[in-house]
Amino acid sequence: MLLRLIRKEVLHNILSFRFAVTYGLLFVLVLLAVFLMGNEHRQRMETYTRQESQARDRLEELAGMQDATEQFRQIQREDFAGVRQPGALAVLARGLEGSLPAQISSGGWFTTHSSEDRLGRNILLEIFQAPDFAYVVNMVLSLLALLFVFDSVCGEKERGTLKLLLSGSVPRDTVLLGKWVGGYLSIAGPFAAAAAAGFLYLSLSGSLPLETEVVSRFAAILAVSFLYISACFSLGLLISTLAHRGATALLMALLVWIGWILVVPNLAPVVARLAAPVPSRQVIDAEQQAIDREAELLMGAIRKSKVYGDRQQMERIREETEQRKRKLDGFYKDRMSRQTSLSQNLARLSPSASYLLAATRLAGTGPDLFAHFSDAVERFHGAHDDFRSQMYGNVSWTGGPEPDIQDEGWFDPDDVPRLSMFSESLSEAFDGALFDILLLVVFNVLFFLLSYVFFLRYDVT
Amino acid sequence: MLLHIVRKELLDQLLSLRFAIACGVCLIVFVLSAVVLTRDYREGLSTYNMNRVMHRNELQQRDQIWSLNEGVTVDRPLNLMNTLVRGLSKELTESVRVQPGNRLDFPEGWEQNPVLPLFPPVDFVFIVGIIMSLLALAFAYDGVSGEAETGVLKLLMSYSAPRDLVLLGKWLGGYLALIAPFTVSFVLALLVVLLFPDVQPDTESSLALLALYGLALLYLGAVYSLGLLVSCRTRLASTSITVLLLLWVSLILAVPNMAPYVVSQVVPIPSAEEVDREKQALQREQQQRFQEIIAEEQERLGRDNVWGDESVQERFRVAAEESQAEIQKIEDSFRTQVAGQTRLSGILARMSPLTSFNLAAFDLAAAGIAQEEEWVASLEAFGDTWSAYSEEKQRAYREWIHEQMAASPSGGVTITSQDMERFNQDLDLSDAPRFSFSHMGVSDRLAAVYVDLALLALWNVAFFMLAYLSFLRYDIN
Repeated sequence: MLLRLIRKEVLHNILSFRFAVTYGLLFVLVLLAVFLMGNEHRQRMETYTRQESQARDRLEELAGMQDATEQFRQIQREDFAGVRQPGALAVLARGLEGSLPAQISSGGWFTTHSSEDRLGRNILLEIFQAPDFAYVVNMVLSLLALLFVFDSVCGEKERGTLKLLLSGSVPRDTVLLGKWVGGYLSIAGPFAAAAAAGFLYLSLSGSLPLETEVVSRFAAILAVSFLYISACFSLGLLISTLAHRGATALLMALLVWIGWILVVPNLAPVVARLAAPVPSRQVIDAEQQAIDREAELLMGAIRKSKVYGDRQQMERIREETEQRKRKLDGFYKDRMSRQTSLSQNLARLSPSASYLLAATRLAGTGPDLFAHFSDAVERFHGAHDDFRSQMYGNVSWTGGPEPDIQDEGWFDPDDVPRLSMFSESLSEAFDGALFDILLLVVFNVLFFLLSYVFFLRYDVT
Repeated sequence: MLLHIVRKELLDQLLSLRFAIACGVCLIVFVLSAVVLTRDYREGLSTYNMNRVMHRNELQQRDQIWSLNEGVTVDRPLNLMNTLVRGLSKELTESVRVQPGNRLDFPEGWEQNPVLPLFPPVDFVFIVGIIMSLLALAFAYDGVSGEAETGVLKLLMSYSAPRDLVLLGKWLGGYLALIAPFTVSFVLALLVVLLFPDVQPDTESSLALLALYGLALLYLGAVYSLGLLVSCRTRLASTSITVLLLLWVSLILAVPNMAPYVVSQVVPIPSAEEVDREKQALQREQQQRFQEIIAEEQERLGRDNVWGDESVQERFRVAAEESQAEIQKIEDSFRTQVAGQTRLSGILARMSPLTSFNLAAFDLAAAGIAQEEEWVASLEAFGDTWSAYSEEKQRAYREWIHEQMAASPSGGVTITSQDMERFNQDLDLSDAPRFSFSHMGVSDRLAAVYVDLALLALWNVAFFMLAYLSFLRYDIN
C-alpha cells in the first residue's frame, strides 16, 4: 500500500504545473551557480598559479645575481608576499573565502597599501551574497520545498481526496509516510539530477580536481543538502497538517520561512555581539603599545640611575612586558572565540544556519578559516622576521653605507618563507560538522513526528 | 465608485490572515532589528570615542622626530543612519593608519567575528528588500485570479464600473493594506531608536529617513504591481502564487547575486594584488634608476659623495616624478576598469528592482559606494595634509642630515643619541592637523540615487500598465 501511495504522490507532483516550474528553476539555478562560481574559481586559480610562478621567477632572478651587495639591497627591499591558495570546494560553498585577502605582505620596504585596498573591487559582489551551490540550496531550495508540500494534506482535504483515501483500510501513518516519501522524491530527484549535471560540468571544466578527498567532500556536502531539504520538506508537511486550507498553509509556510530561514540566522551574530562584546583590535593594540611605552620609561629610568644599567632588572621588565602583552592577546582571543561560539549557537536555532555551517565546514570555508588564516599569517610574519634577522646577521657596515657581505652565497630561494595554511582533513571536517548534521537530523525527526501527531488528529471531513 | 472599490479591497485585506501575519512579522522584525542595531550603534559610538581619544593621546605622547614618518591613526565617525541601514562597511567605525605618500592601512577584515560575514544583517534594506517584497506578493497574488475563482469578480463587473477603475481600486486598496503595517512598524522602530539617548538625529538624517521611506514605498509599489500583473495573467490563484514565487526567487534571490559574477566573467579585470605587483616592479625600477644616477654622477664628478649635489637631487626628483606618473597611470587604469565592471554589473543587476532599491537605500543612508569614495578621498586628502605637516616638523632635522651627508667624504652619516635628543626635545605635536569627516549631504545623496528612483517609478508604471492591458482582456466567466 505504501508503494502505491508513494507512486500516487509522485505522479500527482510530476504532472503538476508546480513541478514543471520548480524543476526548471532548480535546474537553471543550480547549473548557473555551479557554472558562475566554477568559472570564477578557475580564474582565481589561474591568478594564483601565475602569482606563484612570478614569485618563483623573481626568487631565481635574485639568486642568480652576481653582485652580492646589489643582491642584498634588492632582497632587503623585496616584499616576498605570501599568496593564499583558493580552497577547492569554495566553488560549492564560498563561505569566508571571499572575505580573506588573496595575498599577504611579508612586511618588506615596498609594501603598498593604498585606496585600491578599499575601492579596487566591484562593490556589487559584496552587496549581494555569492550565488554558490550552498546559497541556492539554503535559500531557494528551502522555499521550493515548502512550496512543494504546503498543500499536501490540507490541499487534499479541500479537494476531498483525503476523505476518499482514508475511507480505505490504510492507516494514517502509512498515508503520511507515503506523502513524505513521494513528495520528497519529487523534489530530491530533480535536485539530484541538477547536482549531478553540476558535478559533471565542474569536473569536465577542470574547476574541481577529481581527487578522492575533493569528491568525498562534494558527496558529503550533497548529503547534507539532502538532509536540509528533507528538514524543510518535513516542516512544510507539518504546516500542511496544521492548516485546513491551502491558502492558510501557504501563508504560514511563508511566515515560517521568513522567520526561521531569513531572520533568526541573520540576526544571531549581531545579538551575540551585544551579549558578548569584544573590545576592538585597535584597543588591544593600543594597550599593548602603552605597555611597551611603560617598559621603555622604566628601562630609561634604570639607565639614568645606573651608569651601565642593571641587565637583570631590564631583562625582568622585558619578560614582564611580553607576559602582559601575551595575556592581553589571550584575553582578546578568548573573548572573540566566546562571541563566535555564541553567534553560531544562536544561529543554530534555525536549520538554515546548521546547513550553512556544516556545508562551509566540509568545504573548508567556514568560520575556522579566519583562525587558520590568522595563524598562518602570524607564522609567515614570524618566519620572515627570522629570515631577515639571518640576512642582517650576515652583513656589517664597517666601511660606510656599503654593506659588507660575509657569506656571498647565503641566499637560497627555498629558504624564503611561504604562506602555508592548515587545512582540515575530511574526517576532521566531518567531526566538526557533526553537531550541525545531528541538529538537521533532529529537526527532521521532530518535524515528521509532530506532523504525524497532528495528522493523527486531523479532521478530514 | 473608486472609493467603494478601494474600501472593499481594503476591508478584504484587513480582515484576512495575511494582514495579521504581515502586522506580526513587520512589527517584530522592525522593532527587533531597531533595538539590536541601535544598541550596536551605541557600542560603536563608545568604541569610536575611546579610539579617538586614544589615538590623539598616542600622537601627543610621541617624543621621537622619526615617529612622524609612521603616520597617524584616524577614526571614521559613526553614521546615525547605520541604526537602520548597515551599508557597505563591515564595521560601524574603523581606525585607519594614514601614512605619508598616501599609504592607507585599513584594519584587517579577518580579525572580526567570522560568523558575521556568513549572514547578512537584518536591517531596513533586508527587511523591505526581501521580507516585505515577499509579503507584497502574498497580498497581490489573488487580487484578480482569486476573485475570478470565487466568482466575486463576475459580480463586481456586473456593476457599471469600468475595468480601469476596478483595477485601480484593487491596486490602491491592496497597496494601502500592505503599507499600513509597514508604516506603523517603521514609525515604531524609529521611536525605539529615538529612545536611546545616544541617538540625536539632525535635519539631514530626518530628511534622509523620509527619503528612505519614500524609496521603500516605491519599491513595494513595483513588487505589488508585479503581483497584480501576474494575477491578471492567470486563471487560478495557486498558479498565480507559483508563478510569482518563481519570479520572486529569480528577481530577488538570483538576478542581483548572479549579475556581477556574469559581468566579471565577460569583462574580466586584474585583481588588486596583480596591480600591486605591477606597482612594486615599477618601484624596483625606480630604485635601480636612482643607483644608475648615482653611478653616472660619481663618474662625471669624479668623487664618491654626490648625494647632496643639487644636480643629483634634481635628477632624483625627475626620476621619482616619472615613476610616480607611471604608477598613477596604472592606478587610474585599474580604477577605470573596476568602475567599468561595476557599472556594467549595475546595469545587468538592475533587471531586478531589488538592486535599484538596495543601491539607492545605501546611498540615501550615506552608506554606499559614493560615501565610501568620499571617505577614501578624505583620507587621501588628510594624508597630504599630514605629509606637509610632517615635512615641516622634520625640516631642520632633514637639513641637518643633508649637511652631514655633504660634509662626509663617504656620504655616510653617523647620528648619536645626543644629536637625536636635540631634535626630539623641540618636538611639539600640539598643533598637529585634526582629521574631520562629515557624511554626504541629503542633496548629494538624492543626486546619487535619482536614476534608481526613476527606474523604480518606471517598474511601477510598466507593471501596472501591463496589468491593466491584461485585465482589459481578462475573461471573468
